[in-house]
Amino acid sequence: MLKLYFEVAKRSFQRTLTYRAAAVAGLATNIFFGLLRVAILLALYGDRQVVEGYTVAGVITYTGLSQAVIAYLSLFGWYDFMYAVHRGDVAADLLKPMNLFSFWLAQDLGRAVASLLLRGVTFMLIYEIFFDLTYPTTIWAWLALATSLLLSWLVSFAWRFLVNTAAFWSPNARGFGRFAFLSVLFFSGFLMPLAFFPAWVQKLASFTPFPYLLNTVVEIYLGIVSGPALVEALLLQAAWALGLIVLVQAVLRFGLRRLVILGG
Amino acid sequence: MRQAFDIYRRLLGVQIRSQLQYRVSFSFDLFSAILVTATEFAALALVFERFEQIGGWTLGEVAFLFGLLEISFGIMDMVFGGFDPQDFGASVRHGSFDQIMLRPAHLLTQVLGSQFALRRLGRIVFGAGVLLFAVTVTQLDWTLAKVLYLPLVVTGMVLFFGGLYIVGSTITFWTVESIEAINILTYGGSYLISYPMHIYQNWLRRIFTYLVPAIFLNYYPVLYFLDKPDPFGFPAFAPFLSPLVGVASFVAALAFWRFGVKHYQSTGS
Repeated sequence: MLKLYFEVAKRSFQRTLTYRAAAVAGLATNIFFGLLRVAILLALYGDRQVVEGYTVAGVITYTGLSQAVIAYLSLFGWYDFMYAVHRGDVAADLLKPMNLFSFWLAQDLGRAVASLLLRGVTFMLIYEIFFDLTYPTTIWAWLALATSLLLSWLVSFAWRFLVNTAAFWSPNARGFGRFAFLSVLFFSGFLMPLAFFPAWVQKLASFTPFPYLLNTVVEIYLGIVSGPALVEALLLQAAWALGLIVLVQAVLRFGLRRLVILGG
Repeated sequence: MRQAFDIYRRLLGVQIRSQLQYRVSFSFDLFSAILVTATEFAALALVFERFEQIGGWTLGEVAFLFGLLEISFGIMDMVFGGFDPQDFGASVRHGSFDQIMLRPAHLLTQVLGSQFALRRLGRIVFGAGVLLFAVTVTQLDWTLAKVLYLPLVVTGMVLFFGGLYIVGSTITFWTVESIEAINILTYGGSYLISYPMHIYQNWLRRIFTYLVPAIFLNYYPVLYFLDKPDPFGFPAFAPFLSPLVGVASFVAALAFWRFGVKHYQSTGS
């Protein structure tokens, strides 16, 4: 059974790798915006050397990291499952001898890993030409980063899938989706590191799963959280991932009960 | 000419009426258009509590740049929506541009009238709000010249970015798909000029001064509105180049469009 999901993920991985030209074009845009964001943050810094644990090199690396994971985490939105429901393609998925959610999870895993290599790692390598970036220094730090990256994808996928299930209730759920993905951009620390915001905004963010989507990864990468705080951060990430997945399963059960596919 | 204008007016009427059919959906679109712009500005405004300045400028001063850009880009996106390279590329791919060419009406009129997204009003209104905020907190010293020049600056940016849309669409005659370099110029360029230009590295700023003269669209006019000194020592007329840059790039874009139409070969689909 697991082998089947592995094959699904593999196919999706290969499919994503096929669009290399598009990836290169996307990289150019990511880098351009990265350059602008560095200029903006450094202009805000002025003479400051460190702000809330973010050194100058750290904040530059932050812009790189957040640009590098745009494709990996589909930060700008993802509507594939919504389309599948609206077009009725989901009927074909339901006929497959697989769990619907796990099938889409496996597919997204393949896409995400390919994007991480094609758009993430390549991005950081090119970014290194422009700026002096910082890197985790110990093997443990790298392991923590890898775990956090994986969990961030799980949180991201569960949230994206949850938003997409709105398609069962509305034929025009895209507007809702736009709103849901906009919240991610703000509360995940994509636009600005969350630590730079006033305390009440950070408090507000902490009630949502979004900080665990990006901010946690960044703070682990830069070593801003370490020791017991790091373990706690990883556990919270895992808890949100699990919680969201359970929620998705429940919503999916209700949604599928409503689903009517018209032939033709 | 009169006939073209008459057709354009009718096409707009159709667009507007159809978009207002679904009131709830329209208000939601409008609301989310406001939210997209508001979120970005909010992120900047919220970190200002801590940093208090950006490259020596206050929040009110940056808001002036941001507001002007949002108003202009919003108007451009509404008026020139038919030339959005992404959608236009799709119409070339699917062959629907062929249909447009076969109709006995002015080509530009038809493309311009094919898309008029009212929801962009959200962005324009929010931009106007930010500009109002900027004018209030900077205690701007209004003169008659400034009042008269403000709409010209907006026009300059509308024409400049409209021209970019037209160039981007014309390129799809050959590439069939919108090219990323144009996206960098439109979306990257508009993001770039909504912040003070002196915060960028020299090489980047030089590109957007001499190669793409975007520095004159927003930054220089705002220096004039806020009575700020010019850090780069350009001649005193530099703040007034905005409309000229806009008109020149628009005329060049139209020439390229005519060249493209003349050499257009259908994809056959």
